[in-house]
Amino acid sequence: MVKLYVDTDKFGSGQRSATVDAFHNAVKDIVRAKLAANGGHWDSFVFGKSFDMITADDFRSVEKMLLDAGHRFDWSAAISPRERPDVYKPAEGVGEDMATFSFEHAEAIVAAADAEGREQRGQGDNVAQYPAICTGIARYVRSPTQVLAYLTDGVPADTIAIIDDSGGTLTAPILEQFKGVICAGGSTRSHLGILTREYGVPCLMNAKISGIHQGDTVAIECTAQPKTADDYQANRDVTARVWRLKAAG
Amino acid sequence: MKTSNINYAQLLETNNLMQINTDESYWLCVTRTVQESKLFPVPSYMMLSYLMAYYRYPSLLRKIEGRMSAEEVGTRARNMGIKIQNPGVSWGLPCFYLLGREWLINLGMLKPTDALDDLIYVMNFWKRFQLSYHRNDGHINNKEFGHRSQILSEARAQVFHADLYDCVAGDELHEAAQAFMASASQYGFLISCESRISLHNHGPYKLNDTTEMMVRDFMDLAESDFPWLDDVAAGVEFNNVSVTMAVKDCHFYLVDDWGSFEAKPEFSADKLVGVGLYASDNLSDGHIPLGMGSREELIDTFKRLEHQVREATNKLWRKIASMTRDQMMDAGAITYFAICKDLAHVAGVYDPDDWMMVDERAERFRPLLNDEYSRDVLGELVGYLSNPSQRVQEYTMMQHSNAPTRMYSNIPYAVLAGEPYTMTTGQVYPGISYLDPKKDVYTTTRGKLTAAEFNRLSQEFTPTASLPKFAHLCDTWVKYNYESPLAQEFYLHEQRNSRRLKGKGAGLSRADIEALRK
Repeated sequence: MVKLYVDTDKFGSGQRSATVDAFHNAVKDIVRAKLAANGGHWDSFVFGKSFDMITADDFRSVEKMLLDAGHRFDWSAAISPRERPDVYKPAEGVGEDMATFSFEHAEAIVAAADAEGREQRGQGDNVAQYPAICTGIARYVRSPTQVLAYLTDGVPADTIAIIDDSGGTLTAPILEQFKGVICAGGSTRSHLGILTREYGVPCLMNAKISGIHQGDTVAIECTAQPKTADDYQANRDVTARVWRLKAAG
Repeated sequence: MKTSNINYAQLLETNNLMQINTDESYWLCVTRTVQESKLFPVPSYMMLSYLMAYYRYPSLLRKIEGRMSAEEVGTRARNMGIKIQNPGVSWGLPCFYLLGREWLINLGMLKPTDALDDLIYVMNFWKRFQLSYHRNDGHINNKEFGHRSQILSEARAQVFHADLYDCVAGDELHEAAQAFMASASQYGFLISCESRISLHNHGPYKLNDTTEMMVRDFMDLAESDFPWLDDVAAGVEFNNVSVTMAVKDCHFYLVDDWGSFEAKPEFSADKLVGVGLYASDNLSDGHIPLGMGSREELIDTFKRLEHQVREATNKLWRKIASMTRDQMMDAGAITYFAICKDLAHVAGVYDPDDWMMVDERAERFRPLLNDEYSRDVLGELVGYLSNPSQRVQEYTMMQHSNAPTRMYSNIPYAVLAGEPYTMTTGQVYPGISYLDPKKDVYTTTRGKLTAAEFNRLSQEFTPTASLPKFAHLCDTWVKYNYESPLAQEFYLHEQRNSRRLKGKGAGLSRADIEALRK
């Protein structure tokens, strides 16, 4: 077996992610084998023969290796598990289980009800400061199917959308109809943060929450100081609170 | 082994240009987090796009320079609001190429000594474009300027300043402008498959002691290059729209190389006190005022354009929601890869087969790109810098993180002392796409054109500001020669469509402009 240039490395070794590590080791095995079949001649291989010798089927075999070992992949785009349910972990909180679904983030700060009856159920990074706290009805929005239904039938009044997608496209046609947004990912500089600021919709990004279910009455502390790029760079903890005022039903 | 034509100075400069991009990329990425979307497989298409960039950019940039130099394209880019600013060329062009290189190194499919002619050329192209685009502020990118971007000449800034319409929170113009910018931003993210590359901001420009101006560009809005906008964006009148925005009582302290801004105190709608509206492209000879004849006309124009992009958003969202994953992958990867496609439009050598297809060398990798692997490898590549190639000697303290890491591998200097290296990835290979074929319709300021017509007109047209007699009349020359007939002629041309400055010439100060606005 030939040796690759990167097989000797004084300062680097291995990948942070086990999946990446497995994929890269498998690809490097393929490259070694194909390079050996080319007589070990790198110059004619790298931008010539390797284009024919290393194929999509080779890369397909890399994924298959992990699947055969029992691994199922995390998904991020709803289309991925929809097209290949056998490859991805099951999707939760996007269908009939919505009524009982809730984010349960270990980092969520929870506290008993205060004098005003507000029970803290988490915190997030405030995108923009508003003069009053935003109160509304919590509704998880996690799939294109759900957005299409809201696009067709309208978004229920006073919806505070709970989203785990820091992007701006999933909710593109309905975003401005939300009263507020709690987003479990991203930062105040993510696309969803930028768009909610443009529309004047109160929003907490990077939110960590617990025990909030569909239909709960919630409030977000959008009166708090926004979290800036400087805060992120300095790793400063600047958060706004999420309260549950009343459980659904 | 090759006979080396590469010299020490080239390597020093190329490694420096890569390091500039390492420092800025790391800062941009860690202050944003890895972008994911429930709609698009974002990390998957991003990784695919990096390979497309690695394999194709060198050939495509050489094709562009076969007709027009990088510095000439950069000069033209200063005078319009199309997608060759930030993040298009400023960040995307070098970094997508470099990220492709870095990933391939970690797959064992490339050495840091491979395709060195290409690498040196791509970074040199970037340098020349950037220095030309940033000619008026004298920097290579926004990061070097402390995250600021002052692209405009005095002549253009004066027109934008003079023609701003005042507005206050709650009035009809303020609401119409805000609604348009929000809807166009939303639409921009959707067009660009969750990326921000349809949006760009430059500035700030100081208008008076309390007010700054930002110029906001919304790009690729109409039926033009992207196949997924065919039909759904047929009703969008203008492909590139710029909004000039006067903002009172806050300072834009950060305008980054992704074209995003931040202000202290925070920018909020109530601080918007003036707006203007323009269209432009490489055939428009600068910025064309839109609805700027009267306040009422401007309000109606903002409302009309807002309605157009809102309609297009709904149609496009439904179209995207019905796409297959491979189609979403293609749309996203093409959006990223083609972030600098307008270079080819300006040079008049645009070919959709060059820019709207996935090169077959990159296409091979698609089976690797499930959501999990793509998310993790992207995070390692741009956030954690944890790929083996990105770990450097242990005394190193990288800017921003103090870690012994570097996003983009240097070229080893040992290639000057006999270390083997290769020259180029070679010519463009055929491409494939799962998307519907692109209609031959391109919306420009001269109407809807075919690709051939667009190229022909682009080749025939030289903007006035790029004519030999004007191209080098910088503000330093104007400072000492503003009374000359040549300066007058140039300013009168810049002012030809201005409501307040038409015929005023080169002698006005900023205070004169303020006085004219009262």
